[in-house]
Amino acid sequence: MADVALQGGAVVASKQTDRSQVLRRLQVHDAAFRGLTRAAAIAVLLILGGIIVSLIHGSWPALRTFGFSFFVTESWNPVTNRFGAVAPVYGTIVTSLIAMLIAVPVGLFIAMFLTELCPMWLRRPVGIAIELLAGIPSIIYGIWGLFVFAPFLQQHVQPAIIAAFGNIPVLSSLFAGPPYGIGILTAGLILAIMVLPFITSISRDVFEAVPAVLKEASYGLGCTTWEVMRHVVLPYTRVGVIGAVMLALGRALGETMAVTFVIGNAHRVAPSLFAPGTTISATIANEFTEAVGDLYTSSLIALGLILFVITFIVLAAARYMLLRLDARTGS
Amino acid sequence: MSMASFAVPSVGNAVVNRNELAEKIAVRNLDFFYGDYRALKAIDVSLYQGKVTAVIGPSGCGKSTLLRILNRMYDLYPNQTATGEVMFDGENILSPALDLNLLRARVGMVFQKPTPFPMTIYENIAFGIRLYEKLPKSELDGRVEHALARAALWNEVKDKLGVSGLSLSGGQQQRLCIARTVAVRPEVILFDEPCSALDPISTAKIEELIDELKDDYTIAIVTHNMQQAARVSDFTAFMYLGELIEFGDTSHIFTSPDDRRTQDYITGRFG
Repeated sequence: MADVALQGGAVVASKQTDRSQVLRRLQVHDAAFRGLTRAAAIAVLLILGGIIVSLIHGSWPALRTFGFSFFVTESWNPVTNRFGAVAPVYGTIVTSLIAMLIAVPVGLFIAMFLTELCPMWLRRPVGIAIELLAGIPSIIYGIWGLFVFAPFLQQHVQPAIIAAFGNIPVLSSLFAGPPYGIGILTAGLILAIMVLPFITSISRDVFEAVPAVLKEASYGLGCTTWEVMRHVVLPYTRVGVIGAVMLALGRALGETMAVTFVIGNAHRVAPSLFAPGTTISATIANEFTEAVGDLYTSSLIALGLILFVITFIVLAAARYMLLRLDARTGS
Repeated sequence: MSMASFAVPSVGNAVVNRNELAEKIAVRNLDFFYGDYRALKAIDVSLYQGKVTAVIGPSGCGKSTLLRILNRMYDLYPNQTATGEVMFDGENILSPALDLNLLRARVGMVFQKPTPFPMTIYENIAFGIRLYEKLPKSELDGRVEHALARAALWNEVKDKLGVSGLSLSGGQQQRLCIARTVAVRPEVILFDEPCSALDPISTAKIEELIDELKDDYTIAIVTHNMQQAARVSDFTAFMYLGELIEFGDTSHIFTSPDDRRTQDYITGRFG
């Protein structure tokens, strides 16, 4: 009897050790997994912090020398060592604005067409074309812009616009001056083409994720396709659509190569959109190799810091907008 | 007074009664195809003015398909075609020349899952009204209140009209959808298994609502729940494998059906 009991006890004990070994191994696995994911998350924070710190550190000489005047001075003169950020900041914001003004509606319309109206056989070709557009390297957009698009604008589009708006007060100054071909407007148009695929492909994906029954319910009330898209699909997918727009805006703000090719690289703020200008990233790319002297280099880094801040503000504004939208619809 | 109470369990009598009623929608020799697959075969059925018609049958028999023809919802999808005739007040709604938006305003639909729009409760109702009518604010408020009251939801939501429709419970959402449908003043309301996602109390409320609505609207309801069909409908159509097996007075169908298959289905032998 005692034997049996002893044996039974031994069996139980060995089972327990087995199980606790397995458990311990699992705990080790789990701890390793937790450690890895946490390390990855912390690494991102460290990299971000490192970038901010080095940007501030690098731009410190320029900010100390010029102070606030760096942000309100238009002149950018390496000879006299006078640097101001107004022209590149203006160029960055205006080209991105032009790009968004064109790309957001066009991109959303393409996505709406693809999800709601497009005949089946056309869907794949158009969808693939849009994705290919996203895959073209920006340098290609740059040379295409410089050698094909800008001359075309110069010869055929800009003269017509100048003639058409010549006598209208505000528009005549917006579209004034000799048709160079290259300039702020051309850069904005190229940017619009470049960010279009982001907006289209993301918003197409979120439109397709709208439950069919929700669309049926709105069609069932007698809505037209436009009313369904405008009042039901867009509000339902607003988080995704705003995300797409912000991604595109981020790309437009930071795009360097294509813009450098077609913007004209002039440190000037001109009222005309046909005038050449520059953007932050174009300035940095163009001038970094030639920047002699600490102040010049530091000024370029300070421009980089400003771009970083602009991007941050854009993201924060997007978050705030989403919060406001949520509050208004009460969800 | 409901049909069921004076119907006698005899085919002849039921037919006489039906002939006295106004046919709101008459489906004649209707075939429906998903691509090459024939999902409905020569359907003949009528929806009578001010009456509730239930469509029952096992899954996949074509009940929902039939309902989705009545407001041309199938038109949203490619490769779906209907042939035959669906006369709605004497006009064939299968005609390609028909204005779909207008048809869908006249034939409202409530779906299996509640589908509130991503907007406030008030806007969910006002949205549909604004599609057709331009009303001053006060009148619009009145219409919204009336629609919500009609759907027995007003008392529950009157203090939170500015809250998202998505924040309501499932049963409330479904009544919101009914209110939304009622608000555009349709002539026919189609219910596609409106209670299958709801708890028994909400189901009872919706059934009550259907009973109240039938005075003003012609109603068709697809349901898996035979008790529900027996409770709410005046007429019942039994479908099986894409064919209409039997159509008649609800009390007749449920007490002495003419067809063996109807008998088997309502007694739970298949389906």
